[in-house]
Amino acid sequence: MALEREIYQAFEDVVGKRNISEDPGILESYRCIVAQSSAHYGPFNHVTPCPQAVILPGCTEEVQNIVRLCNKYKIEFKASTTFQAAMGYIGSDYAIQLDMRRMKGIEIDEKNMIAIIEPYAIGATVQAEAMKVGLNCNMAGVGCSSSTLAGTAGWVGFGPSSLFMGAASENMLSTEWVLPDGDVIRTGSAGAGLGWFCGEGPGPSIRAIFRGKQGATGAMGVCTKVAIRLHPWPGPTYVPSEGTVPAYKAVLPDNFKTYTLCFPSWEAWADAITLFHENDVLYLGHRQFNMFGRDIKAAMIKILVDPDKQLCDLTTLMADEVTKAQNEDMKLDIQVVIAGMTKRDMEFKEKAIDRILADTGGWKSELMLQPDIAAWTLLYLIRLGHKNLNYTKCGAYEGNFGMSANVFVTTPLMEEASALKRKWENEHTSVAAVGGDSEMGSICLIGGGGPMGWEFFDDFDAYDKDSIKGTFEMIEESQRWMTSKGLGADMGRWNADARRPDAYNYTQEEHDAMFVKAAQPHIYAYQWKVREAFNPNHLGGSYFRTLDPSKL
Amino acid sequence: MPLEDFRPMMERCSNCLNCKWIPFDKVRSQRFSENCPSICYNNFNTYSARGRFQLAQTLLDGKFDYTDTVVDVIHSCTACGSCDVTCKICRYNLEPLEHNLELKARAVQDGHALPQQKPIIDSLKKEKTMIAGRLKADRSGWAKGLDVKDLFKQKAEIAYFPGCKYSYEENLQKVSRDFVKLLSKAGVDVGLLGNADACCAGRANQMGFREEFEESAKANIKTFEAAGVKTIVTPCSDCYHTFKRLYAKLGMKIEVLHAVEYIDRLIKEDKIKFTKSVPLTVTYHDPCHLGRLGEPYIPWDGGEKKVLNQVHTWEPRRPRYNGAYGIYDAPRDILKSIPGIKLVEMERIREYTWCCGAGGGCSETYPDFSAWTAGERITEANSTGAEALVTACPWCESNFKNAVDENGKKIKVFDIIELVQQAM
Repeated sequence: MALEREIYQAFEDVVGKRNISEDPGILESYRCIVAQSSAHYGPFNHVTPCPQAVILPGCTEEVQNIVRLCNKYKIEFKASTTFQAAMGYIGSDYAIQLDMRRMKGIEIDEKNMIAIIEPYAIGATVQAEAMKVGLNCNMAGVGCSSSTLAGTAGWVGFGPSSLFMGAASENMLSTEWVLPDGDVIRTGSAGAGLGWFCGEGPGPSIRAIFRGKQGATGAMGVCTKVAIRLHPWPGPTYVPSEGTVPAYKAVLPDNFKTYTLCFPSWEAWADAITLFHENDVLYLGHRQFNMFGRDIKAAMIKILVDPDKQLCDLTTLMADEVTKAQNEDMKLDIQVVIAGMTKRDMEFKEKAIDRILADTGGWKSELMLQPDIAAWTLLYLIRLGHKNLNYTKCGAYEGNFGMSANVFVTTPLMEEASALKRKWENEHTSVAAVGGDSEMGSICLIGGGGPMGWEFFDDFDAYDKDSIKGTFEMIEESQRWMTSKGLGADMGRWNADARRPDAYNYTQEEHDAMFVKAAQPHIYAYQWKVREAFNPNHLGGSYFRTLDPSKL
Repeated sequence: MPLEDFRPMMERCSNCLNCKWIPFDKVRSQRFSENCPSICYNNFNTYSARGRFQLAQTLLDGKFDYTDTVVDVIHSCTACGSCDVTCKICRYNLEPLEHNLELKARAVQDGHALPQQKPIIDSLKKEKTMIAGRLKADRSGWAKGLDVKDLFKQKAEIAYFPGCKYSYEENLQKVSRDFVKLLSKAGVDVGLLGNADACCAGRANQMGFREEFEESAKANIKTFEAAGVKTIVTPCSDCYHTFKRLYAKLGMKIEVLHAVEYIDRLIKEDKIKFTKSVPLTVTYHDPCHLGRLGEPYIPWDGGEKKVLNQVHTWEPRRPRYNGAYGIYDAPRDILKSIPGIKLVEMERIREYTWCCGAGGGCSETYPDFSAWTAGERITEANSTGAEALVTACPWCESNFKNAVDENGKKIKVFDIIELVQQAM
């Protein structure tokens, strides 16, 4: 069903003929085939609905006019930037998709250490512009290919550098929102016309309504501009690199170092993490390469740092006794980066790391100290430019057992969680010989320390229906196991209550039935009131979870 | 490989959208961070490699038929291979460029070529050139008066193959003549194919005209063999890629060198000596077909093999063609050896260079898009402070000479051979 000509023409009048399309070929490329990528943020093995039109606004005023037309004609809308996850796509048949790629402005306010950015400014470009003036930005774990604004205003937004720089929710300052009814609001200091430095006033402080902790995932209007805090970058005006594609390596001065720190037990590991939380030592802390699997990671690293190696070398490398010993050596590891602001600062940080290792019985991986590997690791972690190594082995991955809690709660369960996927390894739907533990993630999801932000990687082949099915079963089993341990929703199910398994929005009745049984139903009833106030025509889809208060 | 055989790749594309950007590790500014002219100009996701995978998938599923827009998406790819390089930063089992070309070939096979392509292909068939309006009879006119061997009468160390642009375009004919003189002066034994010289037809392949390409290629290979050619030297990057990669796949065994490789060799062997200074600050544009697409052909006949249950790889090892071993250093070494020349680099270079916009036949089929793409590069060149933009491909050179930057400013454009000549 195409949009009525009058409606299509009205949209076209806003953005111009070149920036709107209802061609079936164009529309089909704006559907998310969830099982083809990172499946765990939405329903599995289904395709999101086909939009009525795709529109590319070029400025806030155009977004506002589009949203007003959507309200006039009662058409659902969803704005997205890099379209990496299902949450960025529409959830009903009578909906339009906004592609924000024409809005990509970046303004660096060096003096106040902030960046004012538009939706299609991705992490890589914001970082590059910030580094020109000695600053850096928190890079969300999703990697530098993603929109910084989306990570800041719409989703969780923590990553390897959050220990030093804070997570997206902490870095968000003033914002500009086109509300779901078409009004435009600037929050905080920008709303008072004083600049973009603060999200909590002296202007309107309503960030919690739109942002909260987890973000509104684009279900409450369109964020068109956001200011974020920037942080010190004690390095050159860009990260110089050398080496043959794809094995690029950083060429940075001596005030940057990376280590892979290894520990004899999960207890020692957890002790070290808390010491890192307590001591202001790390520029970046992440358990990264374990995502390949405990018994695969050294072989994968050797492939990735050598431009002539390929995945066909994987099993040979894994069978090598030296590689096996290197895997064993870094069985329980984390990657860290230290950045010295001064020579003395660097010396202190080096000593602090050595002291923490001594106190916890830890050591530095010799493999990861090899110059080529260290230079590659440094580049990887600072830029998160190879982030899509998530997809290298199979093309798709699922995350389960998200260790988003205190380290002392979750580390005792790690080995039991690691054993969960053996059944599917044996059935050949999961990657074999992982070694159980493929847990990875940031060593904190808020600035300075605190809970972890981890997930257990399970790679699958999106072309192999058995692999998809097996992975689905494994996630279901993970959830049952996590529930039995009192650990709440598994990462793979974070958005299972936001979009139906058939990839469409939940109806209000379905959400009511779901949330009335929730542990804290009043939260959803409160959100119902927020939505009624700001989004009276309910045009944002069901990612904004609500419960009709009359059902309580 | 038929489009249907790409379905595993279509379904395994991770939607990571690396294909829209230069390698992230190399991003130095927002302005010059994107890599794909097609999506940068047209903006809809469909114009990216990821979008084309999804478009093909749904076409094969029969969800819709060709529309004007779909045909436009398929053909407005410059076949520059930039998406291929960045996809392969993380993926070892996808071939986006090969897929884009196969999609074009399928569209042509299904009767959805562009009307603008017809005179070009007609010209290839009738006049053996892809520059429509030029005549076969005029092809070797550029060499008139040159004291050089006819390969059908005498053997020579190398066969000089100028390609269509250097043969027909007046301003480039002089470069071609000067190059042959330069070779002779350096003591190189050089010969020409004379009237047997014909278009390499690489651009036919880039536009999806497979049959026409193969017919021309096979005829050319026969000509080379009949003339006893052992080594071809060409100043055209399109020809270079076509011979080195595509003809080799068809069984040609002849050594193929680009002019920059040969000149660099002659400089290092002290056979070319510079006597004059060329006081000029220049920046160098890597032609796609010399750089990232300039890697040699490696025969492969294999298939997919899964290891560790679900890791898909190839057996035997499949050549990657990710731009790692293209021709990047030879032209830079030449420029650095010319007295007076100062080389300043743009942000997008080597395997992640920005395309000039002429590839895929786009300079003829989508002139506005092609000019915009060239203009983007001139903006980047002007941002370096260089006085001139140097390249090693006549298609790039023509496109740059006709374009302006975002402020309407032009830049001097040189073929690298011209600068070598000036310094001798």
